[in-house]
Amino acid sequence: MGQDPSLQYYIHMILQGTVLTVPLKGGGEMEADRGRGKIQKLWAETKKNGFLVWTLLPGFLYITAFFVIIAFFLLKLSLTEYRGGMVENSATIANYLKLVQSEEFRSAFLRTFIFVLFVTPLQLLTGLLAAILINRTFIGRGIVRGIFLLPLAIPTVVTTAVLLLMFSKGGHMTSLLMGEYNWFPGIVDYEIAFLSKEPLALGLSMLGKVWRDTPISMLILLAGLQSINNDQYEAARTMGSSSIQNFFFITLPLLIPAISSVLVLRSIEAWKEFIFPYILAPSYPVLGVLIEKYYVQLFDPGTAAAIGIMLIVVIMLGTVSLNWLLKKMQSFLVKV
Amino acid sequence: MSRKWNLEKMIWLLLIIVSLIAAILPIYIMFKYSVSDRSSWITGGKYPVPWWPFKPTFDMYRYYLSDTRFWSSGILSLNIALLTVAISMVVGAPAAYSLARYKFNGKAVLLFLILSVRLFPDISSVIPVATVFNMDFLYNLPLTLKVALAHSLLGLPYVIFIAQGVFETIPVDLEEQARIMGASRLYAFTRIILPVALPGLAAGAIYVFLLSWNEFVFSYFITATSSVNVLPLPVYLKSLLGSFSPNPVTIATLSLLVSMPVIAFTLFIQKYMIAGTTAGAVK
Repeated sequence: MGQDPSLQYYIHMILQGTVLTVPLKGGGEMEADRGRGKIQKLWAETKKNGFLVWTLLPGFLYITAFFVIIAFFLLKLSLTEYRGGMVENSATIANYLKLVQSEEFRSAFLRTFIFVLFVTPLQLLTGLLAAILINRTFIGRGIVRGIFLLPLAIPTVVTTAVLLLMFSKGGHMTSLLMGEYNWFPGIVDYEIAFLSKEPLALGLSMLGKVWRDTPISMLILLAGLQSINNDQYEAARTMGSSSIQNFFFITLPLLIPAISSVLVLRSIEAWKEFIFPYILAPSYPVLGVLIEKYYVQLFDPGTAAAIGIMLIVVIMLGTVSLNWLLKKMQSFLVKV
Repeated sequence: MSRKWNLEKMIWLLLIIVSLIAAILPIYIMFKYSVSDRSSWITGGKYPVPWWPFKPTFDMYRYYLSDTRFWSSGILSLNIALLTVAISMVVGAPAAYSLARYKFNGKAVLLFLILSVRLFPDISSVIPVATVFNMDFLYNLPLTLKVALAHSLLGLPYVIFIAQGVFETIPVDLEEQARIMGASRLYAFTRIILPVALPGLAAGAIYVFLLSWNEFVFSYFITATSSVNVLPLPVYLKSLLGSFSPNPVTIATLSLLVSMPVIAFTLFIQKYMIAGTTAGAVK
């Protein structure tokens, strides 16, 4: 709003009929000492912008309160050692030491890293494909886009349940690969146990994650595609470029900001993934699944919180290094 | 020239069809299993599971719709989602209005704080939240409220981003004229802006409703660590998956019943879902 807020305040006061109190307050302020004057000034400022403060405060407090609680208790729990559900020691880094030395944590970390390494670029590719497919005008575009969004809408547990049905023994996928349906050639002659082999179980959870989150990367990339000016393509076309050249020399370079944000956001999501590996690969835990194991099943909030904190640190480091990598690549690819 | 264009169009059409199948197949499988008769899923290894049941039946739907456990879980989920919508709208919509209309010190910090909720790993933040909710002085808080408070934290960023977008589309002139005529900011906001913004805000509310309806991590951790009989629907579904030999028809039917409201709503609020998912990512 273009108006001076203090003017608005006076108008407000006049309308309320309380304008008389203002000079009185001002007089008091002059006599008061400096410190008190500051507080009063702050108070006056707050009162002046009352509407702004009162609209923003609840949301701000809500989020801040949760953050303070989360940060405080996460740290406190991680520094508390539990045994058999009881507090054994407090203010100790035993949990961290135990984790760093344990084989379980190391392999969980490695699995999470592999998960991120596969899921992030895969989601970029599927999202890019979907975005390019949908980025033209055709009849029924709205419906197609709606169907492309469906994976995002369906509850994650439901997605895992369906994958479980499809890939379990005696399900569609094992029969399909054995060639039991006459329209598909047999690839293997034994029943594949998707859920009890580590690479397959993890691969299945990656597949689920990619299927579910492709719409998000699609939407971000679609927004990027739509912001590209059509004139550039026209100019290139008059110079005789093919559509493949167009893609590699116009679309891709101009899409780099959107691609970067997809990679960063999706990699964060992949680091903290819980539900797909939890249902589809419970015997091969990633970090998120390990947290559930310690917190819910072993009644050990201390270790769970320590893993939680290490996960946060890992995400931060991962994001910073990914950003650095992207910057390097961008300066290498786009020379201005 | 036109031949080449045709080839390109053919490839495009093929890819669209493949993508559509990839998006729909799991939903189709879910539906197929939910109407399967016994011989369509217990095959004894003699024949593969058919792609369409031999004798489609809606028995499992009939069973669930008369099952009190399903209904109490459903009502719990519904209550949690409605409470989440109420909390996050009441807290979030005014904040979104001020963020859309005013420039002030610390706005960037505030936006960063809101965005960081979405980037913070929920699997880490759920530990302290579940622990605090299980402390003695909070233990007797109703489950609905506990879960809804946690879901509101997740929903707030979406409400704020979606509502901010909605308020930005409303011309400032509208409330300036009201204020010239002597309305207070509060009056202008509640009586003039809110009614105009209502359709957009409703979409935001639906988005948060779906978020809460689908949410698993917080619901699961909070219910798993306290003794409760009735579970929210996603957690109830998960408890079936964990059983020794899950019956595919049961799972598929429950899955479809849980997803039904979601699928219906999604097609309605497409446009705003897009705003919610891309906010903060492209700006």
